[in-house]
Amino acid sequence: MNICGYYPESINEGEGLRAALFISGCRHYCKGCFSPATWNFLYGEPFTPEREQEIIRDIAGNPLLSGVSILGGDPFFSAAEVSAFLDRLREAAGAISAWIYSGYTFEELTRDAKSPEYGLLSRCQVLVDGRYVDELRDPSLLYRGSSNQRLIDIPASLSQRGIVEWRPTFSF
Amino acid sequence: MAMMNPVYTSRQDMLDEVITLGEEIVASSNLEVLRENANLNGESFSGKMSKFGSEYAKWYANHFVMPKPLVQAIQDNIVYVHDLDQYAIGTTNCIFIPFDKLLREGFNTGNGSVRPPNSIMTAMALVAIIFQSQQNAQYGGVSANKLDHDLAPYVTKSFVKYFRKGLDYFEEGDSAADYGLITMARSDLQAQYPRAFKYAVKETESETLQAAESLIHNLNTMSSRAGGQIPFTSINYGTCTSIEGQLVISSLLAATMRGLGSGETPIFPIQIFKCKQGVNQQPGEPNYELFLKAAECSAKRLYPNFANLDAPLNLMYYDPANPDTEFATMGCRTRVLSDRFGRNHLSGKGNLSFNTLNLVKLGLEHGIALGLRQTADEQGFYRELEHYMDIALDGLLHRFRIQSSQKAKASDFMMREGVWEGGEQLNPEDTVGELLKHGSLSIGFIGLAECMKAMYGKHHGEDADVYKKAYNLIAFMRDYCDRQSERHNLNITLFATPAEGLSGKFTKRDRADYGEIPGVVDREYYTNSFHIPVYYNISAAKKIELEAPFHGLCNAGAISYIELNGSARSNPAAFLRIIQYALSQQVSYFSINHPIDRCSGCGYEGIIGASCPSCNASEQDVHIRRLRRVTGYLTGDFQTRFNAAKQAEVRDRLKHST
Ligand code: SF4
Repeated sequence: MNICGYYPESINEGEGLRAALFISGCRHYCKGCFSPATWNFLYGEPFTPEREQEIIRDIAGNPLLSGVSILGGDPFFSAAEVSAFLDRLREAAGAISAWIYSGYTFEELTRDAKSPEYGLLSRCQVLVDGRYVDELRDPSLLYRGSSNQRLIDIPASLSQRGIVEWRPTFSF
Repeated sequence: MAMMNPVYTSRQDMLDEVITLGEEIVASSNLEVLRENANLNGESFSGKMSKFGSEYAKWYANHFVMPKPLVQAIQDNIVYVHDLDQYAIGTTNCIFIPFDKLLREGFNTGNGSVRPPNSIMTAMALVAIIFQSQQNAQYGGVSANKLDHDLAPYVTKSFVKYFRKGLDYFEEGDSAADYGLITMARSDLQAQYPRAFKYAVKETESETLQAAESLIHNLNTMSSRAGGQIPFTSINYGTCTSIEGQLVISSLLAATMRGLGSGETPIFPIQIFKCKQGVNQQPGEPNYELFLKAAECSAKRLYPNFANLDAPLNLMYYDPANPDTEFATMGCRTRVLSDRFGRNHLSGKGNLSFNTLNLVKLGLEHGIALGLRQTADEQGFYRELEHYMDIALDGLLHRFRIQSSQKAKASDFMMREGVWEGGEQLNPEDTVGELLKHGSLSIGFIGLAECMKAMYGKHHGEDADVYKKAYNLIAFMRDYCDRQSERHNLNITLFATPAEGLSGKFTKRDRADYGEIPGVVDREYYTNSFHIPVYYNISAAKKIELEAPFHGLCNAGAISYIELNGSARSNPAAFLRIIQYALSQQVSYFSINHPIDRCSGCGYEGIIGASCPSCNASEQDVHIRRLRRVTGYLTGDFQTRFNAAKQAEVRDRLKHST
């Protein structure tokens, strides 16, 4: 697995200050995609164990972080590896909230409870879902690009078997 | 007249210099002179007029007034005398204004006398007038250290008026009867006269909001000093827990968020929210909601900043019964709380003047950066540091004597109306020295980071040992100030200088003398005070942790900033977390910088790259106004109003979230 970006602190990819990790590779090919270069699974740098350790140490040692955000590409094309990363991260740093971005919808990701995609989804707290639709682009939206995309509270949605939208803790 | 500092060989040289000074101003040909102060439009008529005065006043002070060693130290590029144009005439720097007293007793601006106000609307209008009147009596900032406490009584006055009117209007009671002390907290009145009470609450709320809006508009549009400048105003608030005081706070925040005329971000006043455990820091505390609202406002408008009343150096003077003992700041960071003569409160005094040391040059002379030695010559460094601190201090004391010998009539509003505590008791011909001793004389410094680079090859963000050395250096300076306070029996304090006009001046000269030295003199500016350089990649938490201990040393004031890249307004959680973390680390005064761009085409406000994300207009076609903070003050458009050094600093700022 390759990564194509890592920001140790960001306010743009989810609530609070979050570490943002971008996983290379995407097969959704949305029209107007913000960065088609990330479609390539070999784009960026290899996610070596050393690099992973470095990032885990970074996150564990930063008292200001509210969690981690995983983006892409689309991390769900590397679901098993990303799940393994999250497990190792939590082993080292405790219960850390994870936001995850995908071109798939919640419904698509939950079709098969035994799939690696479902496994990854269930490890995260908030899903920003759906492809990017250029015609629905809206720069005023919180944490996403087009209005078809949703911010979904994953644990609540899984337990209630229906979409529960995520609500900000503070609303300005 | 005797020339104290003759540096000329001939009168012709002197004449040439005076003529060139004038020519450059008339032709607007020296941009660095014009933009020295981001808040002054040096190309306007009034700006040029004041430049004529100030440039010549500086020239005069240099040649005829200042002690010779000080002039030499300035020429050596190690000491900088701030507001040199005011040196010879003995003006003072800044002040916290006792608004409570002025409003309660009424005052005279010199052009007319003013009665105590009977409503919050009038009270806020008078706040603007008082700021403006005082601004003309000094050269630095004017600040309200507890505006919520000061204005709450006038909210009550408005409320009483509306309540009595409501009693008549709704025929609920006798408007002239005695109801005891009527306040917004009187739930018994609310139960007994529900309609009159409700009406009075509604009217009072809307009047207070309108008053706040007009105050903020006034403070952004009024002029002082012959029209050349907007008064440098700061307002502190956040701890008043009466319903009236809370209304003042929430109205100021609401008005700030609404913005000016077409919704743009107000440049003034600098606003500071005072944070105190037990008052506004945790859910359930009386003003916690207001703290959240302050964070929201800051995420949208860059103000308010946050003052930490729980930091040890502030907490030691805190008396919960007296809001005048709560730490507040002149927006640029100046702090005047303690007083060896007992006035350990804020209003009615201020800073008298400050001189700043260029630590970088001392570092270059004694460090390894020039390649002349293997290890830093620390002994030589400290010897010279102390030598120049002596000179800087002598300059302050010399200036203080000039200030002290001024007559009360020279400082007009400040003394005659008792803005400076006790001034009202002086006769116009009395000198002001006995009163001024309550103010502070401060020694400042800039470029700690580059100094460390020059001495040891690394700055204090890069290396734990260097950090210790950096800390010890500033502790040494503080210790010096404390010792000199005892010796001279004056309030001598250490200042983390905000270096607007200065940041590039030292650098330019040093570059001319030493050339470009990597990591030391390779940018257009030196790093502000003890800050970790803006171009250094470091996490926000780490920056806060490293800078916090310096706040405890700088008793004349300091600020720490975190740079955020991204739309802070949409992520309050991040904003709150960072603020509260900084407070928990004992940072005394804190703020978060984030870019605010405004598209003049569609009015979109947020982050704008080469084209507006909302209307798609490109930067070439519409004007994008880019608001940034410079040394504590906001500046309308950093590309046209900053000096070159500050523009470079803004470009170099490394965001903690990129
Ligand atoms: S899902 Fe995201 S990365 Fe993939 S094509 Fe769409 S916009 Fe681009």
